[in-house]
Amino acid sequence: MNAPVRTIASPAARPLGMPRARRAVIAVLALAVLALTLVSVAIGYAPFDVPAAFADLVAGRTTLPAMVLWELRVPRALLGSLVGFSLGLTGAAMQGYLRNPLADPGILGISSAAALGAVIVFYGGLAASLSLALPLGGIAGAGMAALLLNALAARGSSTLGLILAGVGLSSLAGALTALALNLSPNPYAALEIVFWLMGSLSDRSLDHVVLCLPLMLVGWGLMLSTGSALDALTLGEDTAASLGVGLVSVRLRLVTGAALAVGSGVAVSGAIGFVGLVVPHLMRPLVGARPGAGLLPSGLAGAVLVLAADIGVRLLATRPELKLGVVTALVGAPFLIVLLLRNRGRRA
Amino acid sequence: MRLRAILAFWAILAAMPAACAAGSAEAPVRVVSMNLCADELVLRLADRDQVLAVTYLARDPRGSTVASEAAGVPVTRGLTEEIVALKPDLVIAGAFTTRATVGMLKRVSSPVLELGVPADLDGVRAQIRQVAGALGHPERGEAMVADLDARLASVTPATKPLRALVMRPNAFTVAPGGLGDALIRAAGLVNVAAEIGRDRFGQVPLEAAALANADLIVVDEAAPGLPSLADTLLHHPVFRALAREGRTVAIPNRFWTCPGPQVAEVVARLAAAANEPGPRP
Amino acid sequence: MSLDLNDVRVTLDGRTILTDIDLALERGRFVGLVGPNGAGKTTLLRVLTALVAPSRGGVTLEGQALSGMSREVRARRIAALFQGAGVGWPITVRQIVALGRLPHRRAFAGFSEADEAAVARAMARTDVGHLAGRTEPTLSSGERMRALLARALAVEAEWLLVDEPITALDPAHQLDAMALLRAASRDGTGVVAVLHDLALAARFCDRIVVLSDGRLVADASPEEAMTDALLARVFGVTAERGEAADGTRYLLPWARSGATTETSDDAIIPG
Repeated sequence: MNAPVRTIASPAARPLGMPRARRAVIAVLALAVLALTLVSVAIGYAPFDVPAAFADLVAGRTTLPAMVLWELRVPRALLGSLVGFSLGLTGAAMQGYLRNPLADPGILGISSAAALGAVIVFYGGLAASLSLALPLGGIAGAGMAALLLNALAARGSSTLGLILAGVGLSSLAGALTALALNLSPNPYAALEIVFWLMGSLSDRSLDHVVLCLPLMLVGWGLMLSTGSALDALTLGEDTAASLGVGLVSVRLRLVTGAALAVGSGVAVSGAIGFVGLVVPHLMRPLVGARPGAGLLPSGLAGAVLVLAADIGVRLLATRPELKLGVVTALVGAPFLIVLLLRNRGRRA
Repeated sequence: MRLRAILAFWAILAAMPAACAAGSAEAPVRVVSMNLCADELVLRLADRDQVLAVTYLARDPRGSTVASEAAGVPVTRGLTEEIVALKPDLVIAGAFTTRATVGMLKRVSSPVLELGVPADLDGVRAQIRQVAGALGHPERGEAMVADLDARLASVTPATKPLRALVMRPNAFTVAPGGLGDALIRAAGLVNVAAEIGRDRFGQVPLEAAALANADLIVVDEAAPGLPSLADTLLHHPVFRALAREGRTVAIPNRFWTCPGPQVAEVVARLAAAANEPGPRP
Repeated sequence: MSLDLNDVRVTLDGRTILTDIDLALERGRFVGLVGPNGAGKTTLLRVLTALVAPSRGGVTLEGQALSGMSREVRARRIAALFQGAGVGWPITVRQIVALGRLPHRRAFAGFSEADEAAVARAMARTDVGHLAGRTEPTLSSGERMRALLARALAVEAEWLLVDEPITALDPAHQLDAMALLRAASRDGTGVVAVLHDLALAARFCDRIVVLSDGRLVADASPEEAMTDALLARVFGVTAERGEAADGTRYLLPWARSGATTETSDDAIIPG
């Protein structure tokens, strides 16, 4: 060991840069997102001449088919990929940060807070007068949650403290949502909200896209910027700090990023469960367990999953339309059980 | 002990038909209604002092057509102990609501009248007569049916069989074979929801509605203070485009919800909207 | 060229962990930090990496206050290996070691040739080259320890602070690791290691710093620091001393010292 330092020639493949496998996974997923977005635009309930509608649109003719294309099909497809990307990315970031494979985008209570915000605004009667009242309320709820969590995070509370705060926030927001539903003057509206919370992309407009896109972009940026910090956190908070990672900064970026991405996602589409939980696990065998390596692929895979689920609910001739959250949970729950069983096997 | 309990149970069961018969022999004086649709008929057909209680829903003008009649009438939430404590001679309930309470009331041998969901106008007439009879006022039932028929007769049906699509009906159905479908047909219109056939509850996606080539899109009339997600639909650009073409009509949900004379209002409004000259294609 | 603690006191939750610490460390030397459990060794290491801020006094790196440096600069100059951190995800040994290059990388930048070379050097020095593709759950605790040590070495910082680096290792790898740390100090790195094995500390370290109850009780060469009186007072043990076949002197903790009931009580207070 005291011998002069030898330099080992690096192997042919450079495993420390972005490996070819990961680049291929990202490229394939990106193509899949693009393709499914196009399929999502092309698929609908009624026979519909997409090229003709597109021609109308390009020519600036406001025909009904052009409006259906531009104000219903396109927003639905875009929201599917945006919401899916947000869920996948946030799930991967949360699992990486909390070093817990069972963390999901809702773990900090942001989804519940967004739902509560939407419900409160809705029962304030604003939904009747303001078209985007519901999503705006959801965003406000997520924002409040983020402020609360950030106040905690900035004081340097531990990761465990953050999870506990999230669990508390989740239950509180859930209880207040139930209370609001209970006090609702319209018994049918309560039912509507319960269904809305299960997640759906139907009958959204371009306004919804315009509302959530900028928030999501900022949120994505914040979360993607934590990639190498998440890698370092694999070795624990002390080691990460000794490697120059600003623990408080990472926490603030993750909480804020998750609130922006997931909060606005819940605000426009309701709560779509299991995507954020499942997708990082699907990506790990493909791109490795390094948390930073999983962020972008998980986002893309989340988009693929939500787009596919949304195409699925329109192809399945169920009545009424299946809720997206129901479909993702039906696919996700068995996966989760298998995951738990396999993990237990490995620990034993 | 157990034997005695079983004997007591059978004794109660045996006594039930007698009790019901006794109830129908003369007009019941302590009537409790446990369902909004029953409330509407009871409050219109019974004497005020016959009515012991109705549901809290009856008092809300946003969902009920008998809010003014319900003012001052005690209300319940339809819980068993509330109903039992009132010691009613007659309980009127919906055939599909508050099942647990109805089950218990039957076990303590309270006379219960369960109202079905009429599928057409004849069913509405039959139900009016049924409730009026149970209340001991068959003549008021006949009068109400006559009034309903007169109002229906005064409606000029749509001159052209326009295609009507009801979006997001809450608490009623427009599926073929339902009352909603019957009302649309009574107005001289074609029920597009029956044609699309995707969705028994009428939760038709806006896209399907826009492309279904409907002449009339029927929505709930947004009531202030009664938030409904269905209202958010009204803000959608595609819906606004349809509204600009004069292809939408708003009818408050409460007219559709229950069988009663108010269903004539639905028929009248649908027919009027269809006959209105507009920039319809 | 020194890392200095000036009159450092650390109070956590109202409890004084360290007090009156004055210590001047220099590069090119292998310093063993010893003391019984709960003496404050790990806290001292955390103060030296600015993870814990002293409630009094301060740390300077070549005259410059540690607290005034940016995290990145500090991370490039002082590498640290803490105990019990573990590895949170099944990442490969090579990926673990590569994390040591993090302070040298710009945001979103890839791996440079220099990074590759540093990783390869660190892996060769800790003898984990053959484990490069293995993932965390399949490593023995000794292999994991060496991988983590390689990670700290890969920083190639001026200072290397390690907390109990040899506890999980078998005798051969303990000797290798100690030799490696000494070799690193000979290359000009300042090495500070928290050690429990007094025999190995005495054999490999240039200088021994002894902590007891949050105070610095000895700071000298191994021979001068670890006297029989100090071992009895601080550790409650007596040592056998002798000369090895190669002529070096050795020290071996051999028995509990007799009249030290009070000190042994102290020793079981968990830190």
